[in-house]
Amino acid sequence: MNIIPSLQTTGDALNAERIRMDVIAQNIANAQTTRDVNGKAYQRKVVSFEAVMNDATKAARGSGNGGGDNNESQANLKTVRVSGVTADTSPGERVYNPASPDADKTGYVEMPNVKMAQEMVDLITSSRAYEANLTVAKNGKAMADSALRMARDQ
Amino acid sequence: MVDVVMGTDPTASLVARKLLDVQALRHDAIAANIANAETPGYKRVDLDPDFDAQLKDAVQKHDRQAIKNLTPTIVEDRSAKAVRPDGNTVVLEKELMIDNQTAVNYDFLDQYLSMHIQQMQQAARSN
Repeated sequence: MNIIPSLQTTGDALNAERIRMDVIAQNIANAQTTRDVNGKAYQRKVVSFEAVMNDATKAARGSGNGGGDNNESQANLKTVRVSGVTADTSPGERVYNPASPDADKTGYVEMPNVKMAQEMVDLITSSRAYEANLTVAKNGKAMADSALRMARDQ
Repeated sequence: MVDVVMGTDPTASLVARKLLDVQALRHDAIAANIANAETPGYKRVDLDPDFDAQLKDAVQKHDRQAIKNLTPTIVEDRSAKAVRPDGNTVVLEKELMIDNQTAVNYDFLDQYLSMHIQQMQQAARSN
């Protein structure tokens, strides 16, 4: 039984946005890291999302009309998940700093390709999307509450 | 959409019940849209636009069986235009407005049905 079916979708989205914010935090934290685990400058990571069928959708598509209510109606609903975290391979800025242990023979150090303004914009976008999903969760809860109240007050 | 139940039609409570399901389903659709607001290429989904017309038609004909048999479905919204280069058709603000509207509609139908049940209980008691 599922009183608030939208919560699965919304929960998945909150989870995905949380991962994106974590990765942005990692990018910002490593904005000056000239030596990653592979010995080279840190490369910014990008989170990509993909739409996937949720349990209700799979049930609706698989079993046709059998099973719970609203089955067929939900055949086009999709939830979201993180499809991958990939490295941005664009080159970083090269800075002349012969004192750095990571400088090459000519005295230049390759800096990470993290751009602070871009990361901040991504962070705000992600946090707004997170808030929007919270609003949906709140509305879903209010609707379930009022349906339960209808049964209780009689 | 909810204006169908505002008359004194005897099928009104049946329609209200059906519309309550519709609002819950629409909420699910909007939840999926907002969840995929950042997914490249995602196309927004919504209630089948034909449902409203079919329901109004059935109400006008006082066809209770037709109303009962109507099933709302979620389909891809083909009228929505892509607003971003990645082809995603979700506009976050619009979705939030629709979701709030859906919640209010749900509340209204809920109160309407509560009232209806109370009236029936009163009628049963007065005997």
